[in-house]
Amino acid sequence: MKPPPQQHPRLVRRLAGAAAAFAIAFLSGCGVQSTVQQVRQGPTNLGDDAIVILSRKHKTQSETENDFVACVSGSVNSGEGAVPVLTERHFMDATFPWFEPRTAPLNMQDLTEVLGRPIVASRIREIGVRYLVWIEGTTQRSDETGTLQCTVVTGGLPACFGFLSWENGANYEASVWDVHEGTSVGTLSSEATGTSFVPAVVVPLPFIARVQQKACAKLSDQLKAFLAPV
Amino acid sequence: MVVCATLLAGAGCQSGASVLVDIRVPRPLVAPLNAHVGVYFEPALTNYVHRESVDGKEFIIDIGASQAPVFAQVFDAMFQRVVPMRPEALGAAGDGAEADAAPLAEGAQAEETATLMPFLPTEQDAGEVVGVLAPTIEEVQFATPKQTRSEFFEVWIRYRMRLLDADGSVRREWPLIGYGKASERNHANQTESLNAAAIWALRDAAAVLAFEFQDNAQLGIGPAGPAGQNGGKTP
Repeated sequence: MKPPPQQHPRLVRRLAGAAAAFAIAFLSGCGVQSTVQQVRQGPTNLGDDAIVILSRKHKTQSETENDFVACVSGSVNSGEGAVPVLTERHFMDATFPWFEPRTAPLNMQDLTEVLGRPIVASRIREIGVRYLVWIEGTTQRSDETGTLQCTVVTGGLPACFGFLSWENGANYEASVWDVHEGTSVGTLSSEATGTSFVPAVVVPLPFIARVQQKACAKLSDQLKAFLAPV
Repeated sequence: MVVCATLLAGAGCQSGASVLVDIRVPRPLVAPLNAHVGVYFEPALTNYVHRESVDGKEFIIDIGASQAPVFAQVFDAMFQRVVPMRPEALGAAGDGAEADAAPLAEGAQAEETATLMPFLPTEQDAGEVVGVLAPTIEEVQFATPKQTRSEFFEVWIRYRMRLLDADGSVRREWPLIGYGKASERNHANQTESLNAAAIWALRDAAAVLAFEFQDNAQLGIGPAGPAGQNGGKTP
């Protein structure tokens, strides 16, 4: 008679690994580190006007996620020190076709040229927008290590074993343009990095580093502070 | 199929896509040219459907239904007055002898595309138009992220814009290209991504067209005048 396969030691090792990962992830809160930087080039005075938060869409490389723009817009528009925010779609429709991916001003010279047209300047005044906030950047996943294997075990139930981890990096920059003055008033950047884990002993337990949410929260707070009356 | 739907919920089964593009564009913020033009949207434009097989998967982009509303909106903003036109019965068309000898901007395809159908306004008090604008789609292309090794679905629509005389002869024609892209990361599946890319392409074509002419002379319907508020824009 053949001896039974020795599964217990392997199972114990996997359980120990998963427990260790769980402990690390739990204690570190998935280890999200963030930094925010700001360069002010001019004074701001929002008054009763609003801002609009736009993503750059002309590049052939990565494009800022819609949900990040929505997150920043929502956060800036709510809570303490909330700032009135016009949605990206509302602004693009109201100024069509001057802020489309192919026609939007890329620098202050372009902006000055666009705002030099009475028909555009008048519309922007009409909708009450004072500052354009151009957001660029993305969240990327990198340095994936480990393996996770899922299979159907006795009884027809699915089960997964293994351990996966990866790095998440969120890197965003916001340029603030004053459409009344036709000047750039500052640049803010928000970076967040963190490690995500998925230990699995039968059931996978994901511990995801919420770097994008962290970058959104930090950038939003910074934007509110930047636009707050001095 | 059930397994596929379960495992790849939200990502689709990568079995191609079929999209019905339905958009309207906002009224362009441009100063209208002082001209009274007619517009004609031929059935080949308003029923346009692009079908293409990529890696054995069928992709269908139905963009015909959005063409007339989009162009009508743009033309309406570009000109002081715009009148929908209809062709007279085909049998009443000329034999080509009356085709105007006016120079054509893109000349080469004039003989192929000239329908030589006289046009009549659809409104009683339309008055005389200086020309009839009749867009056509020459080609639609798209690319998937797999093909371009990027995160984007991309769509190109190549139009041939024609300015016709009332007798149907081509006075002038020029190309117009609309381009749109949509990141996979911003959409739940490839059908949504492809639809978004096609919408951006139509919107892009409308934006570029709105900037196309700074005065009547550029379009070939009158003398040069002072540049309007659109003047100098180079998208």
